[in-house]
Amino acid sequence: MKPLLDITDLTVRNLRPAADGSAPTSLIHGLSLSVNAGEFVALVGGSGSGKTLTALSAVRLLPPPLAITAGTVRLGSVDVTTAAETELNAVRGGEAGMLFQQPKRVFNPNRTIGAHLLEPLRVHRRLRGAAARTAAVDLLREVGFADAPKGFRSYPHQLSGGMAQRAMTAIALAGQPRLLLADEPTSALDKVLERQVLQLLDRERRDRGLGILYITHNIASVAPFADRVLVMDSGAIVEEGPTASVIAAPTTAYTRELLAASQLAPESGRRPQPVPREVLTLTDANKRFGRGRRAHTALDNVSLNLQRGEILGVLGQSGSGKSTLARAIVGLEKVDSGSITRHPDTAGKTPPATAVQLVFQEPHGSFDPRMTLRASMEAPLRRRRDLTPADRTRRITEAMADVELDECLLDRHPGQCSGGQLQRATIARALLLDPTILICDEATSALDALTQRTVLNLLLRLQREHSLSLLVISHDMDVIRYMCDRVAVLLDGKVIEVAETQAFFAGPSHEHSRALVDAAIPCRWDHLRTLMPGASRT
Amino acid sequence: MFPFIAKRTATLVAAVLVSSFAVFLIPYFTPGDPVRTIIRSRVSGNIIDDADVQALSLSLGLQDPLIVQYFSWLGRIATGDMGLSHVSRTPVADQVLPALAVTLSLVAAALALAVLVSLPLGIVAGLRHGKPADRVITSVTQSFIAMPEYWVAPLLVLVFALKLSVLPSAGWSGPESMVLPALTLALRPISYFTSAVRAGMIDAAAAEHVPAARARGLSVPQAVLRHVIPNGLVPLSTLVAVWFAGLLGGSVIVEVIFAVPGMGRLLFDAVVNSDIPLAQGGVVLVVALAVLVTTLADFVHRALTPAVEGSYA
Repeated sequence: MKPLLDITDLTVRNLRPAADGSAPTSLIHGLSLSVNAGEFVALVGGSGSGKTLTALSAVRLLPPPLAITAGTVRLGSVDVTTAAETELNAVRGGEAGMLFQQPKRVFNPNRTIGAHLLEPLRVHRRLRGAAARTAAVDLLREVGFADAPKGFRSYPHQLSGGMAQRAMTAIALAGQPRLLLADEPTSALDKVLERQVLQLLDRERRDRGLGILYITHNIASVAPFADRVLVMDSGAIVEEGPTASVIAAPTTAYTRELLAASQLAPESGRRPQPVPREVLTLTDANKRFGRGRRAHTALDNVSLNLQRGEILGVLGQSGSGKSTLARAIVGLEKVDSGSITRHPDTAGKTPPATAVQLVFQEPHGSFDPRMTLRASMEAPLRRRRDLTPADRTRRITEAMADVELDECLLDRHPGQCSGGQLQRATIARALLLDPTILICDEATSALDALTQRTVLNLLLRLQREHSLSLLVISHDMDVIRYMCDRVAVLLDGKVIEVAETQAFFAGPSHEHSRALVDAAIPCRWDHLRTLMPGASRT
Repeated sequence: MFPFIAKRTATLVAAVLVSSFAVFLIPYFTPGDPVRTIIRSRVSGNIIDDADVQALSLSLGLQDPLIVQYFSWLGRIATGDMGLSHVSRTPVADQVLPALAVTLSLVAAALALAVLVSLPLGIVAGLRHGKPADRVITSVTQSFIAMPEYWVAPLLVLVFALKLSVLPSAGWSGPESMVLPALTLALRPISYFTSAVRAGMIDAAAAEHVPAARARGLSVPQAVLRHVIPNGLVPLSTLVAVWFAGLLGGSVIVEVIFAVPGMGRLLFDAVVNSDIPLAQGGVVLVVALAVLVTTLADFVHRALTPAVEGSYA
């Protein structure tokens, strides 16, 4: 059988000469891979390994000045490297559908989902008018829209992340492609949604014989679905084979690293038990947005407490009120009723508001793009009258050292730093104000698995050294399990369960918590354990 | 959408009330006694009788509380009675409305010209970002900002009216007399519109949904026509409205140079002559129209960008 996608010795180079006049750098060197009909192939690697470029090369949509300089790419019967643009336009979406990383950004915000869906239907299936509309609504129903006609009329911003992902899948399938190129389509979704999307793709694979090239940094999340795994590092495939054998017996250090990063297993006895003294109490906190019929309850009688030196996890799906909780605790959002109390320390002094600091989800969004990191970090310190400029510089330097960042990054702008570096800088900025409580709102969700691991370890060390109380907000079961002493589960703004981490994962008591745990575990740790009995919880 | 319209309409009313109150207060902050000015304009001698001042003040209702005066004044303006011009003793409305019609047609012509010129220029410059075409378009249109109207206007008159004799040099007597004033007025909007369209195109072309559209099989022209150009033009809708509002009162220089009997010149004369009812009537009308146009532009913008919804609701 001829493979649907056959890439041989692919080389991608940056055609713009480097500043020092040296030869253009090669980003992918001599990569070969193939995907057959009905096959689910996972392409796994860290950020910058060239996974996305591989997918873009398959339909020749590399952003200039990047270009394919050697090798062949065959998609069905078309030689992509030599084909004319018109021929390629028929292939894109017609032979190979594509899924992207950020489902929300794939849509033109000013056009309805339906308008997007009609495009591939017209280009590839010559459908117009009522026939096209019917086909579009059918596609939306197929990918899981309960009210497909309404979905057709919706604008992208009206969809949740999960529904936007489904709509994107419908668009990718609209041209009836035989191959699907999926570029981290679920990394922005929580584990429950991720699993639903993978199940949907898997169903399409079985029903239509769709070949799938699934790109991800998280080897464990696709393990239950992938027939073969290709591990990619620095523009080349370093390891490949059937899923079970790659996971059970990885031959390269890089694969082992990726595997380790996917298994955020809890460490036993890693921290002294928290001293039983409350630092923060929430009593019956309520918060509603909007009025009347359109009102939305974000926090519904939330009562929680945080002990000194404790790491409390807050688990919940998108929209469960997690971020509102974080914003309410730091005072960015006023609660409608109830109280949020910071308790006095042993000296009887009530800590100032700055003792609670927040680390945001999007590292690039939490720095002013026009200010250097130093300027951004210095801004909150300027309010402290007792600090001289020299003091400020010294503190910033110390904080940078504390988060293991090179001091020279201070004079860069956020755009010149990686996500991992910026997230460390965010943490450093929070530490500058001597917090006793640090709230991490999905602080590592935007990072790839390897970087995520190092940032989590950094937070654990800082928590120990500064005896911080951490509130870790996440939809990621593994992060919670890795970090936290206790877990609180939020559902529609209500705390439905609070339990010790061990006990929680052993047997969550609430039905929704069980659904969360069930959805996540097979995706990652426990599934891996069934695949690789020898794996130890390091 | 409905709460948005209600909110913006309320803002519109509030803006008109506040600005008209400010206009109403103008006489209280202008030097000189307007009552005496009126009398002086009617009598030949320089001696003004205090009894005349008293009588005129009374007949103008100047003894009433301020707020009563304001609302009766506003009520009269709203019903089209803007009073008599102090200078000509003719109804203000009879002067203001024709002048407004002239200025409206002049401004509309200028902005239509600006949009027609800057649309293609901006689209080409934005899509050819950084290429020679972009550099030429950008530097030429940007230089228009530095050309003041009192410099451009005589230049145009010199070339088209005096040397070539193809267009009239001044006056308001038909379409051809509109060409030079409209051209002069259009120059600065051309440079602002072009750069807005260009920036809009660059942003729209860089959006992630464009390569996504290519991946669905859309050709480059299809993707540009459907997803880049419409998105890139959105900022222009607001900008045109702002310029429209601005030029209603800002076409003074051009109207004076080309002897166009428009609003700008009327207001200019009213101020010079301390003709307060005329100035007030004219300004209130211009302000109300400006607020109305910008509000309408908000509705248009809102209809073009449905995702903005959340920030108003």
